[in-house]
Amino acid sequence: MSTQAPSPTLELAAPSGAVARWWKTADRALAWAGERLNPILVKETRQALKSKQFMVTFGLLLACGWIWSIIGVSSIGPGAWHGESGPEMFMGYYCILAFPLIVIVPFAAFRSLAGEQEDRTYELMSITTLGPRQIVRGKLGSSVMQMLIYLSALSPCLAFTYMLRGLDFPTILFSTLYVSLGSLALSMVGLFLGTLTAEKHWQIMLSVAWIAGLLYAFGGSIALADELIFGWGIDVLDAEFWQVNAAIFTAYVAYFVLIFYAAASRITFSTDNRSTRLRAVMFVQFALATAWMAWFWVGPVRGEDFALPVYLMMVGIHWYAMGVFMTGESPELSLRVKRRLPQSFLGRGFLTWFNPGPGTGYVFATVNLAAAVFVVLFAVVVAESFHGGEFLPQWDSDHVEQTLAFGVLFLSYVVAYLGVGLLLVRMLRRAVRVGIALAPIMQILLLLIGCGVPWVVQMLTFPDEGGRWDYSLLQAPDPFWSLGYVVDDWQSGLSDDTGWLLVIVPLTALLVFLLNLRGVAHEVRQVRIAKPKRVAEEDAEKLPPPESARPSPWD
Amino acid sequence: MPASHPMIELRNLHRYFDETRAVDNVSFRVYAGQVFGYIGPNGAGKTTSMRILATLDLPTAGDALIDGFSVVNDPDRVRYRLGFMPDYFGTYANVNVREYLDFFARAYQIRGQRRHDAVERVMGFTGLDVLAEKPTNGLSKGMKQRLCLGRSLIHDPAVLVLDEPAAGLDPRARIEVRSMIRSLANEGKAILISSHILTELAEVCDEVAIIEQGRLLAVGSVDEIRNQARPPQNAVEVRLLDDVAGTGAAELGRWLGDRSDVKELNVNGDSVRFLHAGTPEDEASLLRSMIEAGFRVIAFGSKDQTLEDVFMQVTEGRVQ
Ligand SMILES: Nc1ncnc2c1ncn2[C@@H]1O[C@H](COP(=O)(O)OP(=O)(O)OP(=O)(O)O)[C@@H](O)[C@H]1O
Ligand SMILES: [Mg+2]
Repeated sequence: MSTQAPSPTLELAAPSGAVARWWKTADRALAWAGERLNPILVKETRQALKSKQFMVTFGLLLACGWIWSIIGVSSIGPGAWHGESGPEMFMGYYCILAFPLIVIVPFAAFRSLAGEQEDRTYELMSITTLGPRQIVRGKLGSSVMQMLIYLSALSPCLAFTYMLRGLDFPTILFSTLYVSLGSLALSMVGLFLGTLTAEKHWQIMLSVAWIAGLLYAFGGSIALADELIFGWGIDVLDAEFWQVNAAIFTAYVAYFVLIFYAAASRITFSTDNRSTRLRAVMFVQFALATAWMAWFWVGPVRGEDFALPVYLMMVGIHWYAMGVFMTGESPELSLRVKRRLPQSFLGRGFLTWFNPGPGTGYVFATVNLAAAVFVVLFAVVVAESFHGGEFLPQWDSDHVEQTLAFGVLFLSYVVAYLGVGLLLVRMLRRAVRVGIALAPIMQILLLLIGCGVPWVVQMLTFPDEGGRWDYSLLQAPDPFWSLGYVVDDWQSGLSDDTGWLLVIVPLTALLVFLLNLRGVAHEVRQVRIAKPKRVAEEDAEKLPPPESARPSPWD
Repeated sequence: MPASHPMIELRNLHRYFDETRAVDNVSFRVYAGQVFGYIGPNGAGKTTSMRILATLDLPTAGDALIDGFSVVNDPDRVRYRLGFMPDYFGTYANVNVREYLDFFARAYQIRGQRRHDAVERVMGFTGLDVLAEKPTNGLSKGMKQRLCLGRSLIHDPAVLVLDEPAAGLDPRARIEVRSMIRSLANEGKAILISSHILTELAEVCDEVAIIEQGRLLAVGSVDEIRNQARPPQNAVEVRLLDDVAGTGAAELGRWLGDRSDVKELNVNGDSVRFLHAGTPEDEASLLRSMIEAGFRVIAFGSKDQTLEDVFMQVTEGRVQ
């Protein structure tokens, strides 16, 4: 891959000027690209080309492909070109391809960071000027490279099945596409898992869990292909096919990006800002989910009144899960982070919530979820005012109340649980040094207590026949049972218990929120500090400040 | 020699691992063109402080600056300026010497012809050019050591932090490493280099710091430390002429025994050994009064301290 070696074509006095010029351009383009390739990708490609293990895997894959072809062709016999044996043959090749793509590549991605940590080359690499995102991109790039090599090894076989008939081109294309996208996503997850811990015993436990998960995913991918080929099939002329694909693809990209930045943030230097970018991604995901909800609400697929509760549930879980991690962040901002805090009025008002810190994270998660509830309220009000109109779905007024009750309760639970968790984490932080992992552990404990204690009390105090298994207000701390109860009531209007829940839970949430305000205020009061003199000097040397730079109102 | 600002500066650096105070309030400065020796016994905290300088670890308190940039708050700017050679190798399987250096050159964002030149320069400097196509995993220890030195030089950093670069090398290789370090310093780099052995660094270092249990015990040039460490007492050995019976020696012993500046008197045959408190000037006058008292002195030796003695005196051999 050395770009320095003078191109031999140039020395060979090319026969025609045009060809020579073309070669020269191509050579330069290659050199240019070679320079800009990710260093890790370049290194790992070189390694792979010399690695026995890679050659063995590749050889096995080819051999399996050949063996299956021979078995297939000999069993189909001379009728191969007339019968419809394509699907069976394809399924075989698909399994041969899916194993390396779904199991080997993502596992290698997981091991590649762990392996570098064991050889201690990771440290050497991390103190170069390679950024954390470059490292993740490079590792991901080498997964993609392996994937492409496996794909290209089997692509003649896949093309062969098309000639056997019985299988249309979209099916071949989409099943290969899905398995490749699956491989890419699993590699990303593998890389993320690789950043989680450097400790040997955790690494081993994670490896075992990851292998199990990947084998499960392999099974899933086979089942999916089976459905695509022998079951549902793929109908490219159906609008719903594209709509579902687009929605899933949006979610795919959104979570892929989130995991990418999460992995990069895990290997970012700890005084750097590891949170703001992730929060921006979460926000974009939220906006995308809202847009899709609106599409299902008013788009061509009309009358989907389940769109609203499903949306509330999705964003509720989203902001709760994100909130758990954000409330685990350290409340101390490093001097480095403080240099870039927003300082204008607008910036402080809106962008402060993107700053790292558990309090800002708490507010960020809960305010966004509250916004979602308002969006739903708005959608409902619009629907009401156009009731019976042609444009909006038919809307039953009972559903309005229930959807809103569900939204308000969900929001209140998230506010309360995250808030109590945050208070506890803050208290513990005063006594011991703890990392971000404390917050999820704390939430799991809280949920166990919140659900378990009322349940045990109910089991012990209620008589056998007297509604031991029925919902009672005692279960108010249990979000699962309570929310389920509200949804179950769907057809019968709001019950008294729901009414009480709507008083108790939001009030508790409000109280918890107020208790947290002190901590939040402390974080919000932090202000930007000046760059150190030496840093300012170097920045001025590198790029002199533009004369008429008007500061952005958001800065 | 000191330039306008130090290239390496430790400011009250602390690093605790639970109870262990691996680095305990260490401060010193290294200027461009200087070789600074960082000397201490096992577990003294050398590697810990160097890892902080290399932005691999964070201090519990205090800060360290590379060319004026904090390792805590500006690690990106520090990394650009710093070459770190750790006490392990970190080689890759299926990567040869040239590819290894090429990878790190790319990782430091060096592009095109400049990268090609950097790899050639480093291989030439470390004498690895003959091994360019050898797999890094198959190199001998000394060759790996050179490779690691080469890697830390690939982006031509202004500051070098080398953790025991000469450990495990044969005598010739040690001398070569020393001369490499000297020539790098002559190019104007600031170099921090650690070792267990003061003697090994005495020739090459402009200044040394001695550290034990995380605390700095002495900082200065080798001579300054020798003087600081010069004990108040010198070991002196005296022999008398024709003193086969040892009677003269015994008499000298009694004579010396009356003096307050003599301790640990030890008469053995014709020689008398003792510790004398005082300057070399005082020793000279002691000799004069001995002769004036009629002792026929033929040898009067005050043993000069070796660097090993200095090291043993400064450190206490405690471990934590
Ligand atoms: N990651 C760690 N966790 C706990 N203790 C550590 C860690 N790293 C170093 N220490 C402790 O810090 C002290 C200093 O260790 P350090 O490796 O800095 O010594 P050193 O001077 O480099 O010793 P050597 O000459 O043996 O290399 C030791 O007591 C060591 O046990
Ligand atoms: Mg060490």
